[in-house]
Amino acid sequence: MTVLDRHNVTVEGSGPATMVFAHGFGCDQNMWRLMAPTYRDRYRTIRYDLVGSGRSDLSAYDRSRHATLQGHADDLLEIVGEFAEGPVVLVGHSVSAMIGLLAGVSAPGAIEAHVMLGPSPCYINDHDYVGGFSRDDIESLLTTLEGNYLGWSSTMAPVIMGAPENPAFAEELTNSFCRTDPDIAAHFARVTFLSDNRADVSKLREPALILQCSDDIIAPLDVGHYLQRTLPNATLRIIQNVGHCPHLTAPCASMAAIDAFLESVESARSGG
Amino acid sequence: MPSLNRSNPPVPVAEGTLLPGCAALYDGAACGLLLTTADGTIRRINATACRWLGLDADELVGQRFQDLLTMGGRIFHQTHWAPLLQLQGSVAEVKLDLKRARGDVVPMLMNAAMRTHAGTVYHELALFVADDRHAYERELMAARKRAEQLLAEQARAHAALEEAKAAAADRAVFAEQMIGIVSHDLRNPLSTIRMGTQVLEMTAPAGIQQDVLANINRAGLRALRLINDLLDFTHARIGQGLSVDVQQVDLHVVVGVQVAELRQAYPARTLDHQAEGTGACAVDADRMAQLVGNLVSNAMAYGTPGSEVTVTTTVHPQGSAVSVHNLGPAIPEALRESLFQPMVRGTQAQFDRSIGLGLYIVAEIARAHGGSVDVSSSEQYGTKFTVRLPAPTPT
Repeated sequence: MTVLDRHNVTVEGSGPATMVFAHGFGCDQNMWRLMAPTYRDRYRTIRYDLVGSGRSDLSAYDRSRHATLQGHADDLLEIVGEFAEGPVVLVGHSVSAMIGLLAGVSAPGAIEAHVMLGPSPCYINDHDYVGGFSRDDIESLLTTLEGNYLGWSSTMAPVIMGAPENPAFAEELTNSFCRTDPDIAAHFARVTFLSDNRADVSKLREPALILQCSDDIIAPLDVGHYLQRTLPNATLRIIQNVGHCPHLTAPCASMAAIDAFLESVESARSGG
Repeated sequence: MPSLNRSNPPVPVAEGTLLPGCAALYDGAACGLLLTTADGTIRRINATACRWLGLDADELVGQRFQDLLTMGGRIFHQTHWAPLLQLQGSVAEVKLDLKRARGDVVPMLMNAAMRTHAGTVYHELALFVADDRHAYERELMAARKRAEQLLAEQARAHAALEEAKAAAADRAVFAEQMIGIVSHDLRNPLSTIRMGTQVLEMTAPAGIQQDVLANINRAGLRALRLINDLLDFTHARIGQGLSVDVQQVDLHVVVGVQVAELRQAYPARTLDHQAEGTGACAVDADRMAQLVGNLVSNAMAYGTPGSEVTVTTTVHPQGSAVSVHNLGPAIPEALRESLFQPMVRGTQAQFDRSIGLGLYIVAEIARAHGGSVDVSSSEQYGTKFTVRLPAPTPT
C-alpha cells in the first residue's frame, strides 16, 4: 500500500517551501478547509488523514505501531519524505502538534518549524502540572464514544439536516467528515488522552509557534504557558476564542499569527 | 423517565384562533429546544428542557451548554461534533449525557444546526430524552463485548489445542526416531549371533546341541524380521515411505524361493505355492520376499493350527497378484478397516510373534509398487490377503 493511499494525502499549490497540515483527534483533513487554501499560492500544501481517521486506509491501523504517538510521528516523517519539497513547516492541531514534536525530535531538521494549534503534552493532571483532566474524565470520554458508536461508523450513511446558511457546503455533504471505525476511535482516544510527552518537549530544537485559545477545555491556558516555558524556541500567541478549533472558529486571527511566524521563519532561512 | 404528558402546563390559545401560539408551542414542545451563541452560551431554552434538567430557565440562560455535559461529553463536543457542526452546518443523533440539578445524568440525543440571526451565528439544539434507547444500547454493547470475549476465549482454547497437538506430534516423531535408532543398533549384535550359529553348524553338532542351535537360529531370524519391520515402519512413517528397487524378475521364482525358505521355518505346517501365468514382472525382489514372509507368518499365527497355507502368484499382462490363504476363524468386521494400520492385530494370536507391524508393512510395500492390498475373510472359506500390483506402464 502506498503512503498516498494509506493517508489519503492531498497535495495542492506550489512554492519554495511546504506546509503540512495535520488534523487532531476526532476529525480529519477536512478541518483545514478554511485555512489550507489560503496558502496554496505561496506554498506547496499537504493535507492528510492520520491512519485510523477519515479516509485513511483503516487496515493500516496497527494497534502496536500506533500504541504510542511515535507511530504516528513515523507516519508523518514518511509523508514528509515522500511529498514535501524544500523546507517544511508543520501545522499540527491538538494531538498532531505532539506528533509533530516527536517527529522533530526523532529526525532533527526534517521539519523546519512547527505551528502548534491547541497543543498539550499531557492531558492528565500530575502533581503541579495542570493538564486539565483526571483519569476518570478520560474514562468518561470512552463511555461517550461508546454511546456514539453509530455516529462514528463510517459504514453508516451520514444524516445531514441541511446547512441552511451554506447551501453549497450542503451539496458536498454526501461524503462524510470525521467518521471512522468506532473501535479505532476508542483506541486512538486512549493513545491520545493518556499520552505524556513532557519529557520530549525540551528536546525540540526547531522554532515553534503555540497558538493557544483563550478558553479551551482540551488545552487550558496553563498548558500553553507550560509549553512556552519548556520548549527551547517557542512563541506563544493567545487567540480570543472559545473552544479547541481556532482554525475553524477564528481562522482570521489564527492565520494572522501564523503569517507573522512564517515571516520570521523565512527571514531566518534567508539569513536575515 | 421524564414524562411528556404528565406535567406540561395547559397551553394558552392565541387570540382569534383555536390553535396555540408559536411561543407557547416552543415552550411546551415535545423536545428540549435551545438557542446558544457560537461559543455555547445558552440564550433561550424551552420549558421542556428546563423540566428535564430540573432547573429554571433563568438559572440556565447565560450558562454554556457544554458545561451541562459530562467531562467525556465535553471532550467529544470539542474534538468531534463542534468542528463537525462548523463544517457541515448541522449534526444529527449525537448521544450525550446531561447533568441534572439533582446530580444524576440523563442520556439524551441531540440534533443541532448552525444559523445566522441578524448577523450573528447561533446554534439551535433539539434534545430528546433517550433513557430506553440508552438502556437498549447498553445491552447491545454488553452483548457485543460478551461475544467478543467468548470469541477471544475460543481463539485461546483453539491455540492451546493446536499447541498440544503440535507437542504430541513432536513426541510421536521422537518416539518413532527412537525406535529407528534402537532397531538399527540391534542389527549388529544380532548379526554376530547369527554368524556364530552358522559357524557352530559347520562343526556338525549332534543331539541336544543341534536342537539348541536350531532354536537359536530360528529366534535370531524372527528377531531380525522384527527389527526390519520396525525399521521399515519408521522409514514409512517419518520418511518418504518405503524405498523399492524395481527390477525385471520372475515373480514365481522370487516367491517360490521365499516359500521354500519359509517351509524350513514352519516344519510342522504345509505351505503350498501355486503359480499362474508367465512370471516376468517388474518388482523389488527383496520386498516381495519380505511381503510374502509377513503374510505367511500372519497366516501361520492366525490360521487353524495344523491347516494348510497357500501362496498364489498370478502374472498377467494386465497386472500381477500375490495372495496368501489360510483356513480359520474370520477376521471380525470391525477390525478389517484398521487391519493395515500399525500396532493392530487380531485377538487369537497364540504367541507374541510381532508387535503388529507385519500387515502395515505389506500395505506399504504394495503402495510403494503402485499397488494395493485387500482381504476377504469368512468362517467358511477362511482368510485370503491379496496384493495387487499394476501392470508396468508401456514405455
